[in-house]
Amino acid sequence: MSRTELPRTELPRADDSGADVPGAVDLRPVLRLAQPGFRRFLPGLLAGVLSAGFGVGLLAVSAWLITRAAEMPPILYLSMAVVGVRAFALGRAVFRYLERLASHDAAFRQLTDVRLGLLARMMPLAPAGLTRTRRGDLLTRLVRDVDDLQDLPLRVVQPVVTAVIVAVLAVAGVALLHPMAAACLAAGLVLAALLGTGSASILAAVSERRLAPLRGELTEEVLETVQNLDVLSAFGALGGRLDRVRDADARLRRATLGRSLGMGVQAAIVALFAGLVTVATLVIGIPALDTGATAQSWTLTGPALAVIVLVPMAVFEVFAVMPAALGAWRQVRSSARRVATAVPTGVPAEIPSEYSAERDTDESQPAQGFETGPTSPVPNDAPASGGRARGSAARPLSQRKGEGFSRVEGAEVRGSSRNRGVEVFPRVEGADEEGSSRNRGVEVFPRVEGSDEGGSSRNPTGHVLELADVAVRWPGAGSDAVSGVSLRLAPGDRVHLAGPSGSGKSTVAMALVRFLEYTGSYRLDGIEAREWPHDRLRKVVGLCQQDPWLFDESIRQNLLFARDTATDDDLIEVLERVGLGEWLAERGGLEARVGERGALVSGGQAQRIALARALLADFEILVIDEPTANVDRETGERLIRDILTAAADDARAVLLISHTPVPSDLVTARVTLPARG
Amino acid sequence: MRPLDPRLLTHATAARSFLALGAVLGLAQTVTIVAFCWLLSSVISSAIDGQPLGRLAQQVGALAAVVIVRSVLIWLVEVTATRGAARVKSQLRTLVLSRVGELGPDWLAGRRSVRVTTVISTGLDALDDYFGRYLPQLLLTVIATPILVAAMFWLDVPSGVTVIIALPLIPIFMMLIGWRTQAVQQRSWESLQTLSTAFLDLVGGLSTLKIFGRERRQFDRVRRVTDDYRVETMRVLRVTFLSGFALELAASLSVALVAVSVGLRMLDGQLSLAVGLFVLLLAPEAFAPLRQVGAQFHAAADGVAAAEEVFQILEEQPAAQQRDASASLVEESEVRELSRNRGVGLVPRVEGSDGGGSSRNPLQSVRGFETVAARPLSQRKGASSRVEVRGSSRNRGVGSFPRVEGSEVRGSSRNRGVGVFPRVEGSDGGGSSRNPRALLRVEQLTVTRGTHRVLDRLNAEFAPGQITVVSGPSGCGKSTLIGALLGFTPYGGRITLAGHEITPTDDRAWLSWAGQRPGLMTGTVAENVALGDPADEFDSALVAWSLEAAAAGELDGSEMLGVNGAGLSGGQAQRVAVARALYRSQRHDCAVVALDEPSSALDADAEQKLIHGLRLLADQGRTVIVVSHRPALLDAADTELRMGERAYV
Repeated sequence: MSRTELPRTELPRADDSGADVPGAVDLRPVLRLAQPGFRRFLPGLLAGVLSAGFGVGLLAVSAWLITRAAEMPPILYLSMAVVGVRAFALGRAVFRYLERLASHDAAFRQLTDVRLGLLARMMPLAPAGLTRTRRGDLLTRLVRDVDDLQDLPLRVVQPVVTAVIVAVLAVAGVALLHPMAAACLAAGLVLAALLGTGSASILAAVSERRLAPLRGELTEEVLETVQNLDVLSAFGALGGRLDRVRDADARLRRATLGRSLGMGVQAAIVALFAGLVTVATLVIGIPALDTGATAQSWTLTGPALAVIVLVPMAVFEVFAVMPAALGAWRQVRSSARRVATAVPTGVPAEIPSEYSAERDTDESQPAQGFETGPTSPVPNDAPASGGRARGSAARPLSQRKGEGFSRVEGAEVRGSSRNRGVEVFPRVEGADEEGSSRNRGVEVFPRVEGSDEGGSSRNPTGHVLELADVAVRWPGAGSDAVSGVSLRLAPGDRVHLAGPSGSGKSTVAMALVRFLEYTGSYRLDGIEAREWPHDRLRKVVGLCQQDPWLFDESIRQNLLFARDTATDDDLIEVLERVGLGEWLAERGGLEARVGERGALVSGGQAQRIALARALLADFEILVIDEPTANVDRETGERLIRDILTAAADDARAVLLISHTPVPSDLVTARVTLPARG
Repeated sequence: MRPLDPRLLTHATAARSFLALGAVLGLAQTVTIVAFCWLLSSVISSAIDGQPLGRLAQQVGALAAVVIVRSVLIWLVEVTATRGAARVKSQLRTLVLSRVGELGPDWLAGRRSVRVTTVISTGLDALDDYFGRYLPQLLLTVIATPILVAAMFWLDVPSGVTVIIALPLIPIFMMLIGWRTQAVQQRSWESLQTLSTAFLDLVGGLSTLKIFGRERRQFDRVRRVTDDYRVETMRVLRVTFLSGFALELAASLSVALVAVSVGLRMLDGQLSLAVGLFVLLLAPEAFAPLRQVGAQFHAAADGVAAAEEVFQILEEQPAAQQRDASASLVEESEVRELSRNRGVGLVPRVEGSDGGGSSRNPLQSVRGFETVAARPLSQRKGASSRVEVRGSSRNRGVGSFPRVEGSEVRGSSRNRGVGVFPRVEGSDGGGSSRNPRALLRVEQLTVTRGTHRVLDRLNAEFAPGQITVVSGPSGCGKSTLIGALLGFTPYGGRITLAGHEITPTDDRAWLSWAGQRPGLMTGTVAENVALGDPADEFDSALVAWSLEAAAAGELDGSEMLGVNGAGLSGGQAQRVAVARALYRSQRHDCAVVALDEPSSALDADAEQKLIHGLRLLADQGRTVIVVSHRPALLDAADTELRMGERAYV
């Protein structure tokens, strides 16, 4: 009666069949996570066994009471039974109540563990390893699946274990009166369980095989029709389309009707065995009645006969939860499978894990041609320490950089060979042999080499980011998404990373903030990025994502987590900088909410809020991925101008990723990625 | 929650036959229950009285038969429920789909399409449990319980009285506790939703949190929030479960009371053992259906909620009716304005493009006629709905280009490249009644969303043979204008084509359109391009031409696309959508071609090809309307309609 399941956000389930492919996914870790430990589970189980046991006891004692009373003994002999009947009746209801409380409490406690456990598994994977949940509805589905996992203790384990324990106790109790009757009851229960679950499983599997594709087909038809209603109406194709949906619906209906005879077989089998055991017990019990005429080893009194005949009915009633539990198990299993598929155990090699520094230097990359960095991952003075003091001391560095880029403007090599598709830096002669590029990565940057010796690149006044022949691959992909990328970002640099869509611009951005592993050389302040702890690297290198995530909070909260010491004036200032000042006033200030997934703001506004967030965090090297994808041209140009001018003023380094042209006076260099076949 | 929504019976006729059949089965089940209990108690009492098994064989055999019949009935009930549910779902699905089609895209735009899809496809599956578990028990409660109680009364009045007192207690208790907990439960339900949403928010934003180094703090937050929720929920559940407790208690206590009272009266010899046992066995059966109804309440609530959503859609008013109301409201005030103040915010004819000055009527005079109070936004909008004529040198006049006549070479069009129109066979005969060289005119077009006027008395003309680019900042109503042309968006004012008013119920044969969203569907590229034609009757030469003209010539028409056009990149999908509009423009000889941001995902080369294709359409004498702010398209346009002036909207 109580709505105790977690909310079910209804979604089309066309992906069910797809995500449900039986495969090598190991469900056990997920299921273990969902099932409460013994101590947490025990109170609910005990109460459940007592409640169900009392139910059987109530019928047994009532039957005994009545048949004994028929023998008209003194009332004294019945008083215990009278008390017992009342106690069992009361206890059954009370323990049922306690069972539900205890088991729900345990399931809720477990839900916390499930969520935290999955979060811990997702944390190192996000975002590159969680591409299966990138679509919004699939993510919602995952969260719902996680919530559904609590059905495992509540609707599967608890009822089944309770029923088995009560059945064993009942068989033992009957055995005290008549072993044959007990054996009969036990056989009936086992047969009912085996035949019932067996037939139900077979039928469910067959019906899934036949119906699931039809169901998926229908869902897809409906989805396409509804989502493209405008197109279908505009092209006069709606009528024909609706006929197609009706056909799909009719196919599903016919298939369902055809399979309907299989439904309810399990319930019928349980009911059949319950009745047959009763009949069989009668046949066994009646001849054993103590009539004085026969001399059998086991004799029964009249009340005992009533008990052994009626107890099976009560036991089978407890057993009747089995079909529901089996159905719940199927759902839990497919939820667990989807969760296990969406959130893989272990981190693939393409995603950097937190302590990869030691691992990499130890084993995986023994043949590094360049120095493996200092033994302590990052020198203490390197990250973030010199953040604020960008002044005159930054000059020499940026001047040198200026020289370095003097050849860059004309160096837009488009569509050249894959290895060196992007060539910003002057390459060292002779570095063309296949496979050697990596070893020579360092040679390409003589200055860096020198700076390692002199320590000048750890200039406390600014960070320098260098990529040399970097290639990046997505988890599970057969080839690199982008390769041969070289570029350099020093304070004040504003580099435009251009290239057609699909050329891997965003992939580079993911690698820069260490969401994806790279090959080649990516150095921050002359130290391989692999050696940097992620959180320290991300204090320096920030990313403003193309598809930013806004939290379902106020605008203030969405900005504050970038810098929690910011005052309201800071927030308003930064919003004005991204052109949201007027909009903020319209919305009624910082308390305005952005809605679930930013539903209350437009795409362009969301991007600008995300940009404000990134500016607020004051990353010294900021990667901005397509900031103008959702805004009109004038606004976009103004926005880019604002950002880049502000970056120049702050001596911030910006890598601007954009497929549309950026005025050349705004950038110091341009890197163009070639289109990929 | 009503136990059985009468609308279910009205809309789904299959539900009626299910109920009728269910009632028959329920009656049969009742008979088997009574027979089973009676036979069992009489066999036991006879055996105790000393009857040997041989004498009782007949009764035991009858008992076994009853057991088998009972199992078959249980099976039949489930089969009936499955079939009933399948039929009802199918009926409702068909009804609601047709309804959604009638309501149209504008109605849908106000909703989450995923939600509507779910309601139609799998959401209705919640009815499975409603039919399978809830309704049969409800029927049994109505049919079996009175019969069983009557049987008990007949044989043993005190037991009957006990049960008849206890039975109504159950619903009364449940209602009392239900009322008390409903508000709390609702709050808890909402907080549960919030909790789930918060976790969703967290998982979705993980990468953002990592960028800002905030991911570790989330563990504590999740633990705290979830634990708070657990404590709160358990407090609620303690009360909520009381209703279940009352139900269980009433049922088991009345069995106990019956057992004890029967037992004590048998001590006096007032009752026979057979009757006593029979009453004892019947008592729990009398409560069983009611208990099941309670236990399946949740499943039922889900099913009813799903059906409820379907009924809501079925009872929805179609947009066309709403339009009439809103349109007449607007027109009333607009017409007066129009009569006195012709051409406010309107640059009329492009041909006579000296209109600039005359349109600048003083704003004051407009204000003077505003019947509604302050409309600062709309004033600005109205004032800025002006037309700038650019590149008039390209404006060579309509019809100066010779049309390619009679180039009915099918299949060869591809070789000749863009520029040769394979004329659609039959379109000369069938479609020629519509004059393709027709002036499209928008007068006082007003679209209101809630209290906000997206378009306010927009006047514009789109001349045949020309490319008109509609530009302006996002949110100024460009797409709304297209939506009004399509007849999806309810509007006030008039849209005329060659002097005839276009009504929203029109079949839109004059208009070919490509929206911002490609809107491709499962099928081959060619089938997508030839949407609206029967699957195997499309003109493949024209498809090839359309793809070429839309700069998608590299695509293979026979390539199979997945759901929603999966398999193409965003840019490719966009070009196919444009090709689809071009195909239709030729196939149906459409007077107007309207494209909404057709080149936003195209590179410069592809954009030039597209522009070339659009020019060909214009040279055919069609009115080409393109919403865009791409410079290349603006350069290519004969006319630019700039809308709205507010930046950063």
